[in-house]
Amino acid sequence: MKENIDIVDIKKEIQKDRRAFIKNVLSGTIAGSLLMVIPAGAALDQRLPEQLPGMRGDDSPFTEKKFAFIVDVTACIGCGSCCVADKNEYNVPDGNYRTWVERYIIDDHDEVFVDSPNGGLDGYTKARTDIPHAVRDTFFVPKLCNMCEKPSCVQVCPVGATYKTEDGFILIDKSRCVGCGYCIQACPYSVRFLNPVSRTAEKCTWCYHRVRKGLLPACVNVCPVHARKFGDLNDKNSEVYKILREPHVISVLKPGMGNQPALHYLGLRREVV
Amino acid sequence: MEKKYKSAYYSHVVKIALILIIAGGLGVWARGLFLPDTMGQYGHYRGSDLEDQRNVELRNHTNESCYECHRPIRLIHKAGVHKTVSCEVCHGPYADHIKDDKYVAKMPVKRDMEIKALCLRCHNKIIRARPEESIKVVAMPQHLEEKKVDVGHNCNQCHMVHDPLLWVKAAYEMMGMEMKGDKK
Repeated sequence: MKENIDIVDIKKEIQKDRRAFIKNVLSGTIAGSLLMVIPAGAALDQRLPEQLPGMRGDDSPFTEKKFAFIVDVTACIGCGSCCVADKNEYNVPDGNYRTWVERYIIDDHDEVFVDSPNGGLDGYTKARTDIPHAVRDTFFVPKLCNMCEKPSCVQVCPVGATYKTEDGFILIDKSRCVGCGYCIQACPYSVRFLNPVSRTAEKCTWCYHRVRKGLLPACVNVCPVHARKFGDLNDKNSEVYKILREPHVISVLKPGMGNQPALHYLGLRREVV
Repeated sequence: MEKKYKSAYYSHVVKIALILIIAGGLGVWARGLFLPDTMGQYGHYRGSDLEDQRNVELRNHTNESCYECHRPIRLIHKAGVHKTVSCEVCHGPYADHIKDDKYVAKMPVKRDMEIKALCLRCHNKIIRARPEESIKVVAMPQHLEEKKVDVGHNCNQCHMVHDPLLWVKAAYEMMGMEMKGDKK
């Protein structure tokens, strides 16, 4: 008897406001399906750790920071993790390198041997057998864009495709580049190449897109021995500020070119070019 | 100039002036047509490219992103000597595995002798340019002989790849021995 009453009640409810009933059912279904589409928790960008403080939520075109990159030659083991991460990040075509690792060998007679098989992408697995004398010194030198204070590549671009931002990044506008290759010749550090797929000039950007999200450049993030360091020189607590301020053997590549790179090397030997 | 040589007619001057003005106007119009809107906003480049550069796809993440799902590995990897090694260098970039928080493809996992090749990429003593402070290097197969194991052994038979000293330490502890050079 009671059941009967219940059923009648529900029927009455539906009769009373058919429109509201359908609305409730529909909104419930939509909400349910939305929950399956939208992941639980915060957005992915927010879940990532903030490796560079003060970059999150900064939407201004230029940051107030002055970034510097330091490569510690005395720590690098030549594993090529940075090269792997870089290739993965940008799908760099085979045979081109945005960053690479060179192996230097100096023998007893002060002769210098340099090689970089596949840019260090496959790591270094074999010792060189063609060194005539005993090896005096051997070390690895990772290379990447120097982000010059006075970039020659920007100066020669005829179409305004490559430019320097106010916070020091030198970037290439893919949609403007005509692939003339002037910048490739102008760069004293040979960091630029012509992408065979897009037919535009390409080079290391210090992972501008990652930095603006508060992440370290891909190569810095993966370096297992912390040979690559990246940070803000305006921040007095940053590691790069401390290294550049305290007494260390710091040098840049080809200082005589006058490009004033923001990429510094820690413990670089004079044989390195 | 003497007055008698001066022409009373100016139509040719007007013509030239008109042609110059029209040509100039056409030039300005064509420039506006071919140059992108934001060209010259901040300098001699397309201002909106800054936004495009920021929106480049993030393909590598950080180890923290991997740990979000792979909990047991997180505890092992974070506590061990390999904590600074990136997951993505051995397993591939995050973006190949997860897109928009959805699983898209299986990550490659190294097996058998691929593991040995991967270990020796960093730990091979034959490459002399490896600073002692950075990494512990071994010579093969001398390392296996020294440890009195079969020279056909793979690295991961003694060393857990995500924390190479986990089992070694446990073994030493079980035997009640002190590990050589264990400072940590």
